Amino acid sequence: MRRIALALWNPIVAKEYRSRMRTWRSPLAMTVYIVLLGGLGWAIFSGMSLSARSAFNTGQAASFGQGLFIYLILFQMVLLAFITPALTAGAISSERERQTIDLLFVTRLQLAAAFVVTAVAALTLGVIGLACSTAFTRTLPATVAAYGAAFVLLAGSLLFGLLFPTDIDPNATRAPAPPAVSYLSPLLPLVTIGTNSPVTWYGVRNSPVGFSSACAGPYGSSCAVPLGPNGVAIGKGFVRTPPQPTGTAIPSGLFSGWQYWQATVTMQLLLSLAALIVSAALLPPIRHLPWRRPTVRESA
Amino acid sequence: MIAIEGLTKIYGRRTALDHASFEVPKGEIFGFVGPNGAGKTTTLRILAGLLEPTAGRAFVDGADVIQRPDLVHERLGYMPDFFGVYDQLSAVEYLDFYAACYRQPKARRKKIADDLLELVGLSDRRNQLVDTLSRGLKQRLCLARALVHDPAVLLLDEPASGLDPRARVEMREILKELQTMGKTIVISSHILPELTELCTMVGIIDQGRIRATGPVHDVIRQLTIGRRLRITVLGQKEEAIAVLRPLSAIHEATMVNGAIEAAFEGDEATAASILQTLIAAGIKVSGFNQLEGGLEDAFLKATAENVG
Repeated sequence: MRRIALALWNPIVAKEYRSRMRTWRSPLAMTVYIVLLGGLGWAIFSGMSLSARSAFNTGQAASFGQGLFIYLILFQMVLLAFITPALTAGAISSERERQTIDLLFVTRLQLAAAFVVTAVAALTLGVIGLACSTAFTRTLPATVAAYGAAFVLLAGSLLFGLLFPTDIDPNATRAPAPPAVSYLSPLLPLVTIGTNSPVTWYGVRNSPVGFSSACAGPYGSSCAVPLGPNGVAIGKGFVRTPPQPTGTAIPSGLFSGWQYWQATVTMQLLLSLAALIVSAALLPPIRHLPWRRPTVRESA
Repeated sequence: MIAIEGLTKIYGRRTALDHASFEVPKGEIFGFVGPNGAGKTTTLRILAGLLEPTAGRAFVDGADVIQRPDLVHERLGYMPDFFGVYDQLSAVEYLDFYAACYRQPKARRKKIADDLLELVGLSDRRNQLVDTLSRGLKQRLCLARALVHDPAVLLLDEPASGLDPRARVEMREILKELQTMGKTIVISSHILPELTELCTMVGIIDQGRIRATGPVHDVIRQLTIGRRLRITVLGQKEEAIAVLRPLSAIHEATMVNGAIEAAFEGDEATAASILQTLIAAGIKVSGFNQLEGGLEDAFLKATAENVG
């Protein structure tokens, strides 16, 4: 236990807290954060109570809490996505810029170990920020890259689901689910948790519908026949309604049966691990990269 | 205590260090001298475990810097030529932070910081923020930082660069004190006269190659042939040079800053006979003294041979 505490409370963390909390920026950032969050909560609540009163619908009050929760949690997620890169992207590269990193490398700190411990405690976005900070020599490109990564994680993965949705297979026995890549975005599980209902509105589409003269029967010589991705008719001349998802679990696909949040956490942890490994390999001044052959040393 | 063997570092097409070898025994102050870009910083960075050599090996107190960087970091204090300090930390907190990085127990850290601030003369500024300290004071603080884990070896890269003469003298006094504490010190510097006074050993490096290494006076003797005389006369400068030049012991005689400097070969008796010859020729000699060949001469000699 003491060892874990020691590892977590390493001198760099203590130094960072000490120096960061001495400037006016940290209290200001915290105040702005709380004011924004409080303001938004107040605005949503007053909006909801106003509409409930005008609609003479007292039943709406029961869902106030749920409504507040989902708006605030989404807002916090977006704020986090933009604050974390700002804090982490400069962590290593600013040490380089300040010319203090060599002084740390020559100490007895096992920097890679300290880095892993610190980063494990952070969020995926934080780890990616740290990875950017390690990979780029200067803070500015590192920050830009970290924001880019945050954007790809939050919105890019959702965009993937819109651009490449899962085709609904009319013959499937299980409900369709959005493509696995889109679970990377924490917004999807947050909405699922907030609304406590399945995702039916995103990431799936009906199969391209074609007209085939091969379709005979009561509908005449031409009728709508669902075609598979390769253009082969897969239906029987009428569009079957595929099963609809129920509950908040992922109905099918790679993470079939998992909760959305479980899939997101797993994918984000995997991504964090990859970012950590890259950072730990790039950080030390003398890199023992696996693909580099050991140098042949000449003896004097 | 420190040994490098056939150390080579190649950056792309440029060879920064070319089979450099030297040894520094325990307790010596080793002056590492060379023009800009000669490979001094590269050597020190390899010794500090911050750079991987292309070939060759380097040892600090018997520990290979590539195989056992952990042992090397334990035994070595390093002060780079350029370094930064953190904002919003006081001098005592700065030292406490590095003492923690060197895994010094918390109970001892306060004493370590106080002792070191005392050593470098910063006790009265212990609570001043480090980024508000002057350049000279930052240099001293950085030296104190290199000492937080009481290392046996100190690597100082240009510790006196950018310092005013007074700060340099103070830095030299601190280094002398460290020498009496038994530390082995490697100093790279351009300020040669100071090194002559401070160092016990010297290594001259140029274009990545070690040109000369050994005890300071041996290196100077080895590289400066002959002795020099500085003669001041009342008027009659041209006549004095005309008297000196034909003498067989004199290699050359020239005017330097209003005095005559003459290179000669021989001993004290030769110098005395030169003086006698001048007086006999009716020259009014007001000053006559021998110049000690300095590290500067040795350095110029060692590096000039390789130009072009």
